[in-house]
Amino acid sequence: MLIYIAIYIEKFSNKRVKIPKIYKRKPLKVTLYKNQKEIRLPHIEKVLTVDLAKDKIRAENIQKEIASNYIGGRGIGVKLLFDMLSPNIDPLSDENILIFATGPVTGTIVPLSGRHVVVSKSPLTGTIFDSSAGGFFGRELRRSGFDVVIIKGASEKPVYLEIDDGHVDIKDARDLWGKNVRETTSFLSKDGFKVSCIGKAGEKLILMSSIMSEYTHACGRGGLGAVMGSKKLKAFRVKGSRDINISDEEKMKKYVAESMRLLNASPVASKGLAYYGTPSLVNLINTMRIMPTDNFRKVHFENAYKVSGEYIAENYDIKKKTCYNCFIACKREDKKRGIELPEYETIAMFGPNSMNDDIEKIIQANLICNDYGVDTISAGSTVSCYLELEGGNDIETPLKEIVEGGPLSEGSLRYSKRKGKEGSSMSVKGLEIPGYDPRGVLGLALSYATSNRGACHLRAYMVAPEILGKPKLIDRLSFSGKSGLIQIFQNISAGIHSLVMCQFSSFALSEEEYSNLLSAAVGEKYTSEEFIRMGERIYNLERLFNIREDISYSHDTLPERFFAEDRISKEEFDSVLDEYYVYRGWNKGVPTKEKLDSLGLKKEAKFLVERDS
Amino acid sequence: MWKEIAKFGKKLVDGGYLSSHFGNISVRVGDSITVTRSGSMLDEITEASVVTVDLHKPSSLDLIASSETIVHREIYKRTSALAVIHAHCPFAVVESLLNDGSIEPYDSEGKFFFHEIPIVTGNIGTKELAENVATSLEQHKGCIVKAHGTFAVGKILEEAYVHTTMMEHSSKIKYYCDLTKNK
Ligand code: SF4
Repeated sequence: MLIYIAIYIEKFSNKRVKIPKIYKRKPLKVTLYKNQKEIRLPHIEKVLTVDLAKDKIRAENIQKEIASNYIGGRGIGVKLLFDMLSPNIDPLSDENILIFATGPVTGTIVPLSGRHVVVSKSPLTGTIFDSSAGGFFGRELRRSGFDVVIIKGASEKPVYLEIDDGHVDIKDARDLWGKNVRETTSFLSKDGFKVSCIGKAGEKLILMSSIMSEYTHACGRGGLGAVMGSKKLKAFRVKGSRDINISDEEKMKKYVAESMRLLNASPVASKGLAYYGTPSLVNLINTMRIMPTDNFRKVHFENAYKVSGEYIAENYDIKKKTCYNCFIACKREDKKRGIELPEYETIAMFGPNSMNDDIEKIIQANLICNDYGVDTISAGSTVSCYLELEGGNDIETPLKEIVEGGPLSEGSLRYSKRKGKEGSSMSVKGLEIPGYDPRGVLGLALSYATSNRGACHLRAYMVAPEILGKPKLIDRLSFSGKSGLIQIFQNISAGIHSLVMCQFSSFALSEEEYSNLLSAAVGEKYTSEEFIRMGERIYNLERLFNIREDISYSHDTLPERFFAEDRISKEEFDSVLDEYYVYRGWNKGVPTKEKLDSLGLKKEAKFLVERDS
Repeated sequence: MWKEIAKFGKKLVDGGYLSSHFGNISVRVGDSITVTRSGSMLDEITEASVVTVDLHKPSSLDLIASSETIVHREIYKRTSALAVIHAHCPFAVVESLLNDGSIEPYDSEGKFFFHEIPIVTGNIGTKELAENVATSLEQHKGCIVKAHGTFAVGKILEEAYVHTTMMEHSSKIKYYCDLTKNK
């Protein structure tokens, strides 16, 4: 049997990261599945590619330029995927690549730094896609000696990837195939391993499958679990003891202290989220009349209180849960039953948007999604879409159909198209819209439309200024000034996702703090502007990827429902979109030559020149 | 857009951050800058008191725009700022004369907002000043031009306004504290 697997290690330059002790003690040993052939890496700066389909193993040096320009996480993932993937491949074929990436602050003393990112071509949207999860997996991955792991090709039989303190092994997972996330994680996390895995949904290539880390932390969106399933990769477990290096520890301590001061002073981070978790948004969003209700046909849900953070706090015995090095601890568990409680987005979709005010049903839906490994936003929104088209208010039947791979599991867009009712899919570029009705938050409307991965509230986190007033409250009902603002927020978010830090840090931190933390971590000075520019480079490269996939500016729009009755004026929206392109230096959604040259993306844009000549 | 500029112009003058003529305000709109005109009074801005000039290069309309337009333009070219306020805030000017390099705020808000406030040099309306200010604002939210006044940036005008008033507040606190300590 040929196993086609590659592990690609990108390390920052000598100047930035000392060679970790483990590599001085013992060279990295990579054990290949079956034939037991070994390769030894002399030191961490080598990049290893193991390509069993071609029977080829390659070790090569890191490209410093990539580390400097894309820093880590989403940025490096996007760059590697762009370079390595041929256009127009089937995302579920063995040609697709799955990249697990951490960033320069992952697992360090930097607060909210436990996240990791997975990047691939999405089977749900066909776009480039990064999805991130909190927890402890990212930190453990770095401690195991790796910053980035690229998985190529597909195995014939189920396997899992193991990294045990620098030792890499591909192991038989036939006994785990057919099991859900809880069972798989509990089996593989013995001996202190941190586990990312797929459930039955990923195995069945369900287009909205997630990759679950440590039971409940989801790389939820975009169906990357199905990519993992298509490779027959059931799980990835890591364990490590290596110290994570910081280039300038003194400066880092200073910048961390500054960041902590700001986070502690932020009422949203240290009070709202810390008291009720993300469900604290339910009553607020409902009061503002932007609660997705009845598949976005209404904006206010009568019984919202019954699914709110306050209601959960009053009626459940709650235990706070957190990710690595985070004092906010926004996750919630039902102490009695030892089960995770749903986050705001999950509540919005399975609750008001599906006209359901039974919190227990939402809790059960959340458990099912997490166990099968399914994105709760896409699943919830698809259930809402189904209820609109079929009637009724039973969320269990459509959810069962989704997790078991029935026709609904293809997501709301494909389902509604089949029904001849495309207008009932509340999605952008095929990705279901999260829990904020864009008609009442116009910056978010533009951000949904122009997002490279489809409707997402985290690309430009406009929830912060437009809803929570952080850092400044701006008029959510006006498009004025939004086009310039959105592109900056999108660039900053791309930077945050490359560091990699939790998005909630942005309630308190700005590009100034992020660039300081980055500089101390890597030992090279990044100004605030260089940080934003790095984000801009990533955003433009993602855009180029999508253009190469024939995803054009006509996809930068919203479902027609939002333009009906002039709730959002189409004319105004189009004019703001044009203005956004001007700020971006794009022509009809395509970056101009000048913009690409200024961002150092000349080589990457070569296909554009050839296409246009 | 001129109404927004008028609103913050009036607030700056009313708050004592500058006297009527001593400052200028601009916002970026796509590939243009809308900036207060030379000689306009910031507490009496009307539609006729602002002018829209090209973001990338000087144009004939620069003739009537604020003499500091060269600095505003350089800031927009080099940073992601969408609003800029320049004000001759008295305590900030005093502190810039008493210190070199930068000042570190004593007050907690100032520490939160700025960590440090750089002091830059250069003659009014010169390319040198434009470059020094823009370089400094690539990393900071505001700076003080020695013996001259503050430049603050924001993603919206209100943010630039807050940065301006915070720089003046921190300068004032620092001035009084140092005065008391040195007694
Ligand atoms: S705020 Fe919540 S999601 Fe973010 S790091 Fe903390 S616990 Fe994790």
